[in-house]
Amino acid sequence: MMTLFLEKALRFFEPVGSFVLMVSRGFRFMFSRFRIGDTLIQMDRIGVGSIPIVFLASIFAGLDMALQFEVVMAPYGAKALLGKVVTTSIIRDMGPVLASLVMSARVTAGIASELGMMNSTQQIDALRVMGVDPLDRLVAPRLAAGLVMMPILSIVGDFLALLAGLGISVAVGHVPAPLFWSGVRDALTAQNLTNAFLKPLFFGFILTSIGCHYGMRTSGGAYEVGRSTTKAVVAAAVWILISNFLISKLLINIWGLSA
Amino acid sequence: MIRFEHVALGYADRPVVQDVDLEVPDGKTMVILGDSGSGKSTLLKGVLGILKPQAGQIEVNGSNVGDLEENELLAYRQRIGMVFQEGALFDSLTVGENIGFWLWEHTDWNDEKIEERIRTLLRFVGLESVIDKRPDELSGGMKRRVAIARSMAPQDPLVMLYDEPTTGLDPFTSRSICDLIRQVQSEFQVMSLVVTHDLHDAFRVGDLFSFIHDSRVILTGNREKIERSDDPFIRTFLST
Ligand SMILES: Nc1ncnc2c1ncn2[C@@H]1O[C@H](COP(=O)(O)OP(=O)(O)OP(=O)(O)O)[C@@H](O)[C@H]1O
Ligand SMILES: [Mg+2]
Repeated sequence: MMTLFLEKALRFFEPVGSFVLMVSRGFRFMFSRFRIGDTLIQMDRIGVGSIPIVFLASIFAGLDMALQFEVVMAPYGAKALLGKVVTTSIIRDMGPVLASLVMSARVTAGIASELGMMNSTQQIDALRVMGVDPLDRLVAPRLAAGLVMMPILSIVGDFLALLAGLGISVAVGHVPAPLFWSGVRDALTAQNLTNAFLKPLFFGFILTSIGCHYGMRTSGGAYEVGRSTTKAVVAAAVWILISNFLISKLLINIWGLSA
Repeated sequence: MIRFEHVALGYADRPVVQDVDLEVPDGKTMVILGDSGSGKSTLLKGVLGILKPQAGQIEVNGSNVGDLEENELLAYRQRIGMVFQEGALFDSLTVGENIGFWLWEHTDWNDEKIEERIRTLLRFVGLESVIDKRPDELSGGMKRRVAIARSMAPQDPLVMLYDEPTTGLDPFTSRSICDLIRQVQSEFQVMSLVVTHDLHDAFRVGDLFSFIHDSRVILTGNREKIERSDDPFIRTFLST
């Protein structure tokens, strides 16, 4: 009875254990033997390849946000605050979350299906037989690329969203551009900037590590590869949303409500 | 010499094969036959040290594979060529990069020296012209040839393992792969283990034959002994 329960518990936690193991060994390889060439290739595929979609999403988010806040704030005569409000919500939340969710569809799915296919065609066994640890050759460069590229993409995306917000505020809300900009400057507080940098860093890790986790555990044919890819994307999206909330809460606890 | 002594191999707690005793003398080729899922690939994983025996021991040239540490396994595998079912070529790399992969990873050879080795190996398997192609541009037979070349890259092999090298190929291509296997065998005097479920191919490449059925080795011997057997499983195998 007790052993049955233990066995069930172990089976339930086994994926967690193997995830932790994969990530910790992946990081160890990243620091002990950094594969610059493979990492650059992944940075190109993960990051550069995602530029159009991330930037497009950011621009439309900025446009929409300025539009909606203008509607809410105009009756209170609070248009002067538009710059600050738009900036705050973009760099603290909308920017990183939106960019990462868009990326998860591309990056997590790409990694999970590529590694899954390599696994099911025995390419990963072949690596092991040839004395190369797949965590070193495949996982570490992807983790590194995600950690570097996601903050860069997200921060440039934030900037584009702000420009789009400025455009709408000036054109539709008739807010003078300098007034909007001074709001933006007010919003660039230490807490907001920490959000803007820390969140995408963490989301970049979630995107790539979850893709690797599901990919490395795929066995079977095309059907299994498809299934684990879908699961990976869903898991990445859920963990991005959960950790977004937790990081927000953590940073608010650290800084208090001083904005 | 490869020697299996009362070996059980499997995944988690479930043994796939048990009580396996086999012996491949130096320079000989043993063919392992059995139906799908009987554990043929599992036996090869045992020889490679990917899977540790749950019981018994696997001895290759005097060293007990189950006892080797991770870094000793690396050295050990350098002398083993493994040709996977379907080839398992890295599809993000060219043919040349596949064959040179091991050398780039584990030696400090310069590019010219590696390229020379790649060309030598490709010439050996009769495919010099495909060096810059990607694996998905190759036919099934060409992939197996490239896989054989890749498995010999580290240095001249001591043991060659082939997992169903002819499955899914037409009779002509199968035959040429079998000839290639024989050629590797006579050129390097290696011990080989060939997994197959095709009897014609088996008799073409093998010196010794071993049948797996119901998770046990039911018969081992030369062609004559196999053909004289009156075991019902082997009779059905022979009559197909
Ligand atoms: N990684 C694994 N994890 C768990 N079970 C496995 C694994 N690989 C194989 N098995 C199981 O072990 C048994 C033997 O598999 P194996 O691949 O050795 O068979 P095989 O004789 O090579 O078959 P085939 O001719 O189809 O290649 C099968 O029942 C299979 O389900
Ligand atoms: Mg098999």
